[in-house]
Amino acid sequence: MVNQLLEVKHVDVFYGDAQAVWDVSFHVNREKVTALLGANGAGKSTLLNTISSVIQPRQGEILFSGNSLANLKPEKVVAMGISHVPEGRRLFSRLTVLENLELGAYLPNTRPLMHESMERAFKLFPVLKDRKGQSAGSLSGGEQQMLAIARALMAKPILLMLDEPSLGLAPLIVNLLFDIIRVLNKDGVSILLVEQNVHKTLEIADYGYVLKTGTLKMEGRAKDLLNDPDFQQAFLGMVI
Amino acid sequence: MAAIGLSLIFGCMQIVFIAHGAVMILAAYCIYWMVTLTSMNPFLGFLLIIPVFSGLGWILYTGLFQRLAKAGKNPSLLLAFGLMILLEHLMSFVWSPNVRTVTTSYSSSALSLGSINVSVTRLIVAIVALITTGLIFLFLKKTMLGKAVRGVSEDRGTAALLGISPSWVSAVTFSIGIALAGVAGAATSITYPFDPYFGFLFSLKALIAVAFGGLGSVEGALLGGIILSLLESISSYTISAGWADAVGYAAFLIILILRPEGLLGRRSVEKG
Repeated sequence: MVNQLLEVKHVDVFYGDAQAVWDVSFHVNREKVTALLGANGAGKSTLLNTISSVIQPRQGEILFSGNSLANLKPEKVVAMGISHVPEGRRLFSRLTVLENLELGAYLPNTRPLMHESMERAFKLFPVLKDRKGQSAGSLSGGEQQMLAIARALMAKPILLMLDEPSLGLAPLIVNLLFDIIRVLNKDGVSILLVEQNVHKTLEIADYGYVLKTGTLKMEGRAKDLLNDPDFQQAFLGMVI
Repeated sequence: MAAIGLSLIFGCMQIVFIAHGAVMILAAYCIYWMVTLTSMNPFLGFLLIIPVFSGLGWILYTGLFQRLAKAGKNPSLLLAFGLMILLEHLMSFVWSPNVRTVTTSYSSSALSLGSINVSVTRLIVAIVALITTGLIFLFLKKTMLGKAVRGVSEDRGTAALLGISPSWVSAVTFSIGIALAGVAGAATSITYPFDPYFGFLFSLKALIAVAFGGLGSVEGALLGGIILSLLESISSYTISAGWADAVGYAAFLIILILRPEGLLGRRSVEKG
């Protein structure tokens, strides 16, 4: 049990009166890559938003290193060590690349380390260094995704949650991003990855959960899932 | 200056703070009181206005506007409108609706620069405006809190995901905005005669300057303010003073038609 970094227990999430997630439980192990898979509307992003307290669950609880995240504000969840790269990157497009990164290290305990984190970010994503004076909105899609990840890393997260990082990007860039996710994981960052790109995700993931219309359908080690006939059936036709 | 305060508030909180002018005039009356009751130098009053009005801004935001933040824009607009009416009537109750002026020992002195005569008070006001604007720019561009203000005004949700508390940053921004209105009002008090209802005109002008330059853009508000006042001065000199406002509004309409987002307004950048 010590191995479990994040535990999501029997969570129900509603948008107003509409239920989006039904009784979902899963966990993320320390220093592993965990994948949440499923089609559009399966509730993957909703779960990430629930973990980072953008939405509060109506039922169930979420524990991080054994501490409950209930009723925390999003800004407090980050302070606990969970960084969330939201779907669609959500950069401050009018701010420069450098300013985006600086705001990533806004938390009082990460601010003194800003210089060091910045060097690390530039080492991981050299292209950002060349573009640091440019406004974030002027970057290409791939560069924007890199900046979004680099910005989240500035907060020195223990758990990094990535929501559809490959969305809308060219295959070459997607490969690059997945390589970087693997490198980050080797450096000791635990990762919760939400993706529709099933094959690529299971290549780097240790464990996977499959969601369908707000309920958990299947789970297993990444290798086992790929060979599971039910899993293949479920994703047949939607995997490229 | 008023336009920058308004632009900050609008950008960060999406509140159209129509009471901005009324707050300005409140500051003007404060200066009036200080000068007539204690015969102090009005420019010393400026220094007092800043902490008092930022405190007022803090109380207004945390006490009133924060509670409405979840309810959307319309309740905040109504609240600002109500605040404006309340302030106007309070001021006419306390200070009577008569027109007041603040006079200083050097009100009538002027400096001659070649063929141009500039009154000393206006010159000082211009310098105060420049310094304040410069400080605000430095704050927004160089400090972490200033960058957070810009971040929150672009995307509150994402700011929260980075550990920036949007409500705290909003309260700070609102305080700065109100303090700017205070300084602008103090400046008004020594350059124009004023009455309790004079502020609405300023709200209107500031709102136009803000929209002119681009909503939520501080640079835009400054640019809008400069262009608008230049246009009005030039047209009142070349055509007639009566046409100054008309030219200003016409320019505003033309900008709205040609560039609805304002001169430096944000265009959404979406890239795949």
